[in-house]
This record gives sequence, structure tokens and C-alpha cells, in this order.
Amino acid sequence: MTETVANERLRAMNSSPPPSSASSSNISIPDSTLSDMLHAMTPAGADDADLYVQYSESESLALEEGRVKHVSSSTHQGIGARVIKGEASGHAYTDSLEPSALMDTARAARAIAADSASRAPVAVHAGKSGHALYQATNPAAAAPMAERKALLERLDGFARRLDPRVKQVFANVSSSFSDIRIVRMDGAELHDVRPLVRLNISVVVEQDGKRETGSAGGGGRFGLERMLTGDEPERLAREAVRMALLNLDAIGAPAGPMPVVLGPGWPGILLHEAIGHGLEGDFNRKGTSAFAGRIGQQVAARGVTVVDDGTIAERRGSLNIDDEGTPTGRTVLIEDGILTGYLQDRQNARLMGMQPTGNGRRESYADPVLPRMTNTFMLAGSDSPDDILASLDHGIYAVNFGGGQVDITSGKFVFTTSEAYLVENGKIIAPVKGATLIGDGPSVLKRVSMIGNDLELDPGVGTCGKDGQSVPVGVGLPTLRIDELIIGGSEA
Amino acid sequence: MIDLTSLSAQLVELAVKAGAHSADALSIADSSDSIRVRHGKTESVEHEDSRGIGLRAFVEKQGANGTTLAFASASSSDVSENGLNRLVEQVMAMAEISEADPDAVPPLGAEHPDAQQLADWQKRHACTEPAWQIDAARDAAMACETAALESSPLISNSEGAESGFGRVRVAYASSDGFAASYEKTSAALSVSVIAGKDNGMQRDYAWDRQLTGIALRRPEDIGREAAQRTVRRLGACGIASGTMPVIFDPRVATSLIGHLTSAANGRAVLQQRSFLGESAGKVIFPDFITITDNPDHPQGLGNRLFDGEGTRCRQLQLIDQGRLTGFLTDRYAAGRLKTVPGGHARRGLTGDIGIGCSNLILQAGNMTQEDMLRDIGNGLLICELIGFGVNGVTGDYSRGASGFLVENGKITRPVQEITIAGNLKDMFSAIRHVGSDLTWLGSMAVPSIAIDGLTVAGQD
Repeated sequence: MTETVANERLRAMNSSPPPSSASSSNISIPDSTLSDMLHAMTPAGADDADLYVQYSESESLALEEGRVKHVSSSTHQGIGARVIKGEASGHAYTDSLEPSALMDTARAARAIAADSASRAPVAVHAGKSGHALYQATNPAAAAPMAERKALLERLDGFARRLDPRVKQVFANVSSSFSDIRIVRMDGAELHDVRPLVRLNISVVVEQDGKRETGSAGGGGRFGLERMLTGDEPERLAREAVRMALLNLDAIGAPAGPMPVVLGPGWPGILLHEAIGHGLEGDFNRKGTSAFAGRIGQQVAARGVTVVDDGTIAERRGSLNIDDEGTPTGRTVLIEDGILTGYLQDRQNARLMGMQPTGNGRRESYADPVLPRMTNTFMLAGSDSPDDILASLDHGIYAVNFGGGQVDITSGKFVFTTSEAYLVENGKIIAPVKGATLIGDGPSVLKRVSMIGNDLELDPGVGTCGKDGQSVPVGVGLPTLRIDELIIGGSEA
Repeated sequence: MIDLTSLSAQLVELAVKAGAHSADALSIADSSDSIRVRHGKTESVEHEDSRGIGLRAFVEKQGANGTTLAFASASSSDVSENGLNRLVEQVMAMAEISEADPDAVPPLGAEHPDAQQLADWQKRHACTEPAWQIDAARDAAMACETAALESSPLISNSEGAESGFGRVRVAYASSDGFAASYEKTSAALSVSVIAGKDNGMQRDYAWDRQLTGIALRRPEDIGREAAQRTVRRLGACGIASGTMPVIFDPRVATSLIGHLTSAANGRAVLQQRSFLGESAGKVIFPDFITITDNPDHPQGLGNRLFDGEGTRCRQLQLIDQGRLTGFLTDRYAAGRLKTVPGGHARRGLTGDIGIGCSNLILQAGNMTQEDMLRDIGNGLLICELIGFGVNGVTGDYSRGASGFLVENGKITRPVQEITIAGNLKDMFSAIRHVGSDLTWLGSMAVPSIAIDGLTVAGQD
């Protein structure tokens, strides 16, 4: 099994949202139907069972060749029924809300259980509420489509005026919200409305017949109107153009082991791949992770502390509750170099005799729950970023990345640079072409020798893939020196 | 069961009534089941029923240069009367926002399959597969995992085996009166196991996917293949950096063909996002490379009679004796590239049309993989690639890899924690041989591919 996180970048949001006031749902399935479903699906010996009712809307506008030619939306709803007994689980999903289809779905979820006796019926009732980290509304409500279109057109003109070498501009603004109700085996109902917005721009530049590309984006769980105002869109456009032009002059990256300095923010993808996936509860319960059985061992240099925190207001990877209704939390994965914790959903936590950590996530009602990351980052150290770069005699300074991937079992992981430089005697010599860096998760952080005082979170654009399911995540990192990583360049 | 074809036609009719110049609609109904076993016990059972509708509507806009067309698209899972009306309303409102494109191609007058072709297709591709049988599926998964676990004492753990079956019905209608549907099934069996302990653990897998359950390889064979692949990775370590020939096992050779089709995508070419943008009609591979897109193959999981715009799909020699014959096109890309629509429109329920192939087949050579190892002498056999280090604009290539060191024509040891790098254009022309081991993997059939002169980064 390999796990991935896809490309992307920047922007920190810091205002706190008003408290959540959501209580009405966009899907009307009567409580009595949900109660009947739970009764039909849950055998007496079940360890857990739940219903996941989801309604979601999304909208997207995309600009290409100077025109907003692609406008689209989708509206989807459905329900997932799940029954768990020991290590086994039964799942059924439907997007029909007809009562007969719902009862068929409930019975199908029961397929794993041999016992015919059912648990006593329960009444659906309000459960404990989670955090209020974002506004429980459609994030596009205060940003009319015409304004979104105008923003994309503004960005197109802006990017083209920045440099005559800009030949193509692609810009996309998207927004969605997902309204979920989780009804647990005891009838407790938990509710969350999750907004998500995203702005992305990419450009193609050309010079002397040579083309390159650059991109930048940002987003989070807040109102789209905030992306339309202020200088942030222009900053993203400048960033995309700067990266593309820089890559025109890039030289081939070296091939082989050398010291690397990672810039702050999105390069935290290192932690997501090297550490995060390997600490997900399912792989550790099954003993298939390179980190299995290593709690209490030193897996990183002293001074390295890594956390997964789903409770940061308005961030892309944050959730008020996870997809099992557990409030998200802050889980310390590595403390001062020592492996301290795993990321857990309810089933894996129960089987390992641990507590759920609020990391049970699913892409939609039509997917099983898996332990997943939220926002994963390393705490700041005390070194100045300038000193860290100056310490590099001969190596690579990588400040931006595309995607990454990991082999959980062997622990080998990769991530690919999109902006990186060759450094000699502490000085930047030249930009280098995109190169994949490869390392070993359980040992890479032992080679950390300097930790910056400049922790940054990524701009809100990460998407993590596991078992074919995509979920939004965040990462973060201070400037970091790693004494050795293998650089997969073309210059042997 | 809903009649998807009339549902699609109804949507198109509603859109035209609401003022659309033209429209087309797609309806998809999906039903899938799977069962997963681990260490001989049922681990999970999944069942899914879903259906969705997608509508694309074009509206006329008056501009300085006369009347042009703009469009918008939307999808929904609500197939009730109310749901359809709401969808049409949404699409029409969005089409008003959308900017007109002088090159827009409305869903009128595509070269659709005729009634005879439709009837013939339905007959030859009739889905005779019986309904999901959970007991048989569990037995197959159990047999597969057992064979993997028992085939070597070095196998130490299992990620489980999974057996699945899916049936999808797709219906398309456009406002020129064309409406048709087809049905497809697919059956899959896979297993993943682990060998070794602690720091030295390795995982590998084997799988098969076919149109029908009966066509799948025997569960025991899949299990044994997974075990063999896993065990032979034990003891893997790095190698020193250098430039050397690399053989891509069919399993990873498919990714190279994927990079080719991404670059031959007519829309990417129009957007100047392809490193093959100026290569139409040019020789980009050695002359022994021929790659065919075949939409009607007895084994093809990618079979289709018509594409996402109702255009009849035809066989295409994408690479003919090393030459890129043209680009992959939908009607829009074909219009702008001044070529005939290739029937490569790929479409989901919502969003813009994409471009994709049906079944891609790379013509096999006559060397076995062993012959190829002997032929390269010293180099690498790559069996797994990870990461996303491919730049579609420049063709620059750098990915994480694992596989085997080849010395004096023979595999000597497993290798991991290395990268391979180059540029796809150079890599394509530096193909030294393709193997005789043509292997179907999903909707691609590809043999081993040997390429000269890749840069390998690693550490001894």
C-alpha cells in the first residue's frame, strides 16, 4: 500500500469564526427512519455501528485562454451504514433516500454478522457537540458567481502584465460545503457543516522556444468572499509567474546523497509522508507499518516534536468532529525525538486498547472510515533560518514541493521539488529542475541537525490519498536541515 | 430500475425547453460489492448503489462578432422530477455567467453510432455475468490469501485479499436526438502480503481485473505471484548513483504509456502544456514501437462504443512504427486542431470534458524479460515507482523506484531507496527493446520496456 499527498501551497488565516449555529440539516430523513435503520443493521454482539448522512454542494469556475469557460456545480447526497464487530466491518452505501432503499442498505451492512438477535431499538437524540472552528454555512453564499468570475479575469490580466513571457494562465476558484449527520449505535446524533474554498492559478511561460510552468494556490474553511478581496489573489499570481520564470533558468539537479535544507511551510509534506502515514492506527494494529511497535523509541533527533492538530480554526485539514463524531484533537506523534503516539479511529483504537484521537475520516458517505491525518507539523526550534542556509557547504535548498508518496511497510518515501536551489558555501548558486527526493521514514528525522524558529503552516491546498480516498489535509514545518537525503536529479 | 436513457433524454428536453440552444446529458448507475479477508477471516464487506445525472447546456450570447455559444455543467444524485428541474435551473443560471467561446462545439451532429452498430455492440458485449455471489467471492479471496501465506515461510503478515464485482450502466443523450446506453461489468481479485520483520519488512501484491469473474486468473496463482514478488524484495538496499539501462516491468511500463497519452492529449497541446505539442507526425520512438487505442477488444476493460460526446469510437494507431500519428481529441480539440474528432472525450457527471483512451495496446517484441536482462548486461529491473516527479510541460522525469540490480545479464539482488531520472522525450527515443511478455493491466496491455541511459541516484 502506498499513500500520497498531492501538490500545493500557502496562506495563513488568523481570524476566529463566530460560534457554530447550525442545527437544521439539508437532508430530511426522519429520526424514526434512522432509528429503524440502526435497529435493522445492528446485531446484538456489535461493537459499534453508525449511520453517516451527507449532503454536499460544490461549485467551480475555471478560466483558460482569458475566458471563464468552465462553470460547473454538483449536488450530492447519500447515506452510509456501518457495523463493526472485532476486526470485521460491514458497509453499505446508497444515494437513494427512498425508505425501502434505506432499509435494504441497513440490512446489507449487517452482512458480516452471523447472529440473528438485534440490539434493542434506540431513539435518535442530540449528542455532544464538537469544536466551532469554522462557520457552518455555504462558503459561497456571500460571493456571487459574477464576482468570482471577475476575480479570475482580474488575475488573468494581472499575470499576463507581469511578464511578456507569460503565454497561458489557468485560474480556478472552487467552493463546497458538506453537511453531515452521524448517528451512533446508542442513538446519539452529531452534526457538522464543513465549508471549504480554494483558489488556484497556474501559468505557462515561454522563452526561446522553451516552456515552463508554475503554480500557486490557497484556501481553507472560510467564506469565499475573503479570497476575492485584498491582495492575496495577486500575490498568488506573482508567485506562480515567479516560479515559472525561475524554472526556465533551472539547471539539472544533482543525483545522489547530500545535505538538504527545507524551507518553512509546505515542505512539511516530508512529515506527512515520512512519519504521518506510518503512524496511522490501522497499519500499526496490523503490524504492516515500518513504525509498528516502536512507541517509546527514538525515531528523530532530540529537539524534534511533531504533532497532528485538527483543531486550528479555519484550516483546510481541520474538523470540528471527525467522521465518527469524535471531536478532533492535538496528538503528539514525536516528542523531543521519541515516538509517542498513533492516529486513531474508533475501531483501531478499541482493538489496540487506546483512545480514539479524532482522526477517523472518510472521503464521503460512500467510503469506509480510515485513520487519517488532519494538520501535521513540526514545532519550531531555535535556529535562525539564515544560519541554517549558511551552514550548507554543498547541498540543496528546497522551498517548494509537488506531491509525495510513501511505502508504509518499507518506510521509503518520496517528495518532489518544484522550487529548489543548488547551494555552495551557504550561497544559492542556481535553481535546479524538479527532482524527487527519497528517504527512509523511520530514520530520516534522526539526521535533522538544525530546526528553524520560523514554523509556517502550508497555504491550504493539500489533498491526501489513501485506499483511493481523498481528504483535505494541512502540513507545516520550520526551516529544517537534514544532513542527508538522496536527490533524484539527472546529473550523475 | 430507472430507464437511464430516457432519463438523459428527458434532461436534455427540459434544458431546451428552458431556453438552451442545445444540451447533452449523461446518467450513470453503479452497483458494486466487495469482500475483504485477512488471515483467513472476513475483514469487511461493502455494498454500494449509486446513480447520478450530469447535464451540459449551451446558450447563445450576442457579441461584437455575432452569436457565440457558452456552456455550463452540473450534476446531481437527485433523480426525482424536482431534482431534474432544479438541475436544469442551476445549469441555465451558470451558463449565463459563463463566457462565450467562439470555438465551442455544441452537442449537435456528432458522428454517432447508427442503430445497426448499437444493436451489434449490445449483442457482442451482452453482460451475462450473474449477480454478486458473496460466498463464491469470499472463497476466492480466501484461496488467494491462503496461497500467498503458504507459498513461503518468509511471508510474515498479510494486508488481506479482496474480491469485488461491479456493474455500471451509462446512458447518453444529446439534443440532436441521439440517445443510447451501454452496460459494463468488472470483476477483480487482489492480495497483498508482507515478508520479513521489523526494519527489513517488504510488501508486494498481485491482482487481476477482468470484465467477468470467470475470466480472472486462478486465485491460487494470484496469491503465489504476490508471495514471490514480496519474498524476492527481502534484503533490498541502495546502489551507488550512475547512468545505466533500466528495464521497466510491465506493471510500471504502463505508467510510461500513461505519460505518453497525457502528452498526446489534444487539449493539453492547445494549452501549451505538453512536451509533445510540436511532435504530431514526427518520429518519437524507435520504429519497433506501435501503440494502438482499441475501443473494442474482447478483454478490454476500456471498451466503449461511443465517447462522452456520443462520438463513435474507432481504433487508432496512436504510435505507428515510432511515429506519433496525431493527438487524442474530443470535438472541441479536433475543431481547433483541424482534425477529425477521435472519440476520446472522457466525461464525468460534472466538470469539463477531459480526454482519455479506451484500451491501449503496445505491440510486443520477441525477447523474454530474461533475454532483455542478458541484453542490457548491467543495469536495473524496476518493478515499483512512487511519487509524482513528472513535468508534463517539459517531459522532465524523476521518480522513486525499487526493483533489482542486474549484473552480467542476471538479477543479483533487490534494490530500494533509489530514484530514476531523465526526460521523457529522450527516454522514448532511447527505448532499446520491448519484451514478448505482453500483460493486461486494467485497460492497458504492455510488455517489459528497456530504456538506455537513465540517471539512477542512490547510495551503496
